[in-house]
Amino acid sequence: MALEDICGFKDTPVHRKWFPASHFEDTDRSFHMTDFGLRRLKKSGRNSGIPLQFFIPTLPNSVPFNPRPSLPFSPSNHSVTVSRPFPLSHGTTTLGFIFQGGVIAAADSRASAGGLVACPAVHKITPIHSHLVVTSSGSGADCMLWERILAREIRLYQLRHRRCLSICGTAKLLSFMLHPFKGTDVCVALTLCGWDKEVGPKLIYVCSDGARLNGDIFSVGSGSPYAYGVLDRELRWSLSKEEAISLAREAVFRATHRDAYSGNKVDIFHITAQGWISNCCSLEILFLLPGCLFRHEHRGRCGILQP
Amino acid sequence: MALQDLPIQFGQISTVQSCGAVSYQDSILPSLSLPTSLPLASSQSVPLPFPMSHGTTTLAFMFQGGVLAAADTRSSCSGLVACPAAQKILPVHSHLVGTTSGTSADCALWKRILARELRLYQLRHGRRLSTSGAAKLLSHMLHPFKGTELCVAATLCGFSGPSLYYVCSDGTRLQGTLFSVGSGSPYAYSILDQGVQWGLTVDEATSIAREAVYRATHRDAYSGNCVDIYHISSKGWTRRSREDLKEEYYREKERQERDGM
Repeated sequence: MALEDICGFKDTPVHRKWFPASHFEDTDRSFHMTDFGLRRLKKSGRNSGIPLQFFIPTLPNSVPFNPRPSLPFSPSNHSVTVSRPFPLSHGTTTLGFIFQGGVIAAADSRASAGGLVACPAVHKITPIHSHLVVTSSGSGADCMLWERILAREIRLYQLRHRRCLSICGTAKLLSFMLHPFKGTDVCVALTLCGWDKEVGPKLIYVCSDGARLNGDIFSVGSGSPYAYGVLDRELRWSLSKEEAISLAREAVFRATHRDAYSGNKVDIFHITAQGWISNCCSLEILFLLPGCLFRHEHRGRCGILQP
Repeated sequence: MALQDLPIQFGQISTVQSCGAVSYQDSILPSLSLPTSLPLASSQSVPLPFPMSHGTTTLAFMFQGGVLAAADTRSSCSGLVACPAAQKILPVHSHLVGTTSGTSADCALWKRILARELRLYQLRHGRRLSTSGAAKLLSHMLHPFKGTELCVAATLCGFSGPSLYYVCSDGTRLQGTLFSVGSGSPYAYSILDQGVQWGLTVDEATSIAREAVYRATHRDAYSGNCVDIYHISSKGWTRRSREDLKEEYYREKERQERDGM
């Protein structure tokens, strides 16, 4: 499987233990199991000796991965630099907020590469499990990969420990997995929106720079200032579900109106104690709503004609 | 009065006389020829005394009652609030007001130069220059400085003809019905897009402008302190007394506590 290959699952003793036949496969990848500072495989007593380890992609050209390298990863280790096929750009609008009815996560659906709309129908909100969704911003490829890795690690945790990892724990895990890549070109800014059984609604922002922030309202991306203006004005704890969804839609709409790198559709997810519900809509219908700028411009032009 | 008798000079940097029969357009270019002692192409550049930063929130929009202009009052130099009570909306004459963004020193100077030139025009030609003429004048005066460190982004709000223009030192001159300039402008834009319509009353327009500046100052670090609101109508500009946005913040907190947040 592709994810296995990237994370080098096949090289590890765990893989050899479970799939002894494939041990003879040829691989020249370096041994890259990370155990966060523990030199020996720490085995959990409860789960019949399954080692506690995380499989994450390696940094290219690095020798057996040291959790505490003496030098931070420097680009001079690259003997070959890959040239970019197109200019990367991180244009998006995603937002999340908590209210009395749970958590709302919303995002636009435009993927841009420089001045080109690479894809007008991207899913920027991905469910990780039944009570957690992740909104992604930054580099689309990096976000997709790390979401898959996160989903796999959460599932493994659930299988090993027979309980779901809390949202805080998920955020911490993601932050630690991203840490070795700090200073490289990995650009990932995720907002974890979920519902914890013990704590209730939770919203945590995790970034590849190392930031991990808990909060009630987050908006990420090039369109985020526009969304913040609308959200700050209308957001109250006591909103009803319909009001919250329409507020999220309005905020993304205002951002797509002014930001060139956001647009197309708006995806909205609502997370409650029962799980997440998705609600997508196209933004074209909002042009017909009263009070929209287009109506204003029409009236404005008539007004100028008066002497 | 023939134009030949009044050589039109814009004496901002040089006082090169343009003599002879020259037309209005031609007289601009020779009189703006810059002496070589200007630090434009000099080998040594003057070091900046402090790090400059262009943080502000200003906005202006047109509605049935005229034009409304609003701005915050924080003047910042990177991380320092140099002045919490600056004035970012400068009246040019009784029916023209300009909001300033960019470097405040440059903006203040160019507003004064514009005011002087408009007054001279009025004296020479017996009529006031329209807002679009004033915008064109300012744009042409700023043109020789394109490519230098001059940074002026002004919206001129007047009341003759199409009365809202955005003029920028990199050459932009745009006519429109809604502008917001500065680091806090995205936050203000979304509020304005939601609420601004042609048929607003003056009070409604004032409260939208105040709310937009408040939201921008809430999220942007370089905007803050108070808000100035100017209303330009056929009778001229009127200015509301400066309001501290701290009050707005406490009022909103109270409202949120009442809602059970």
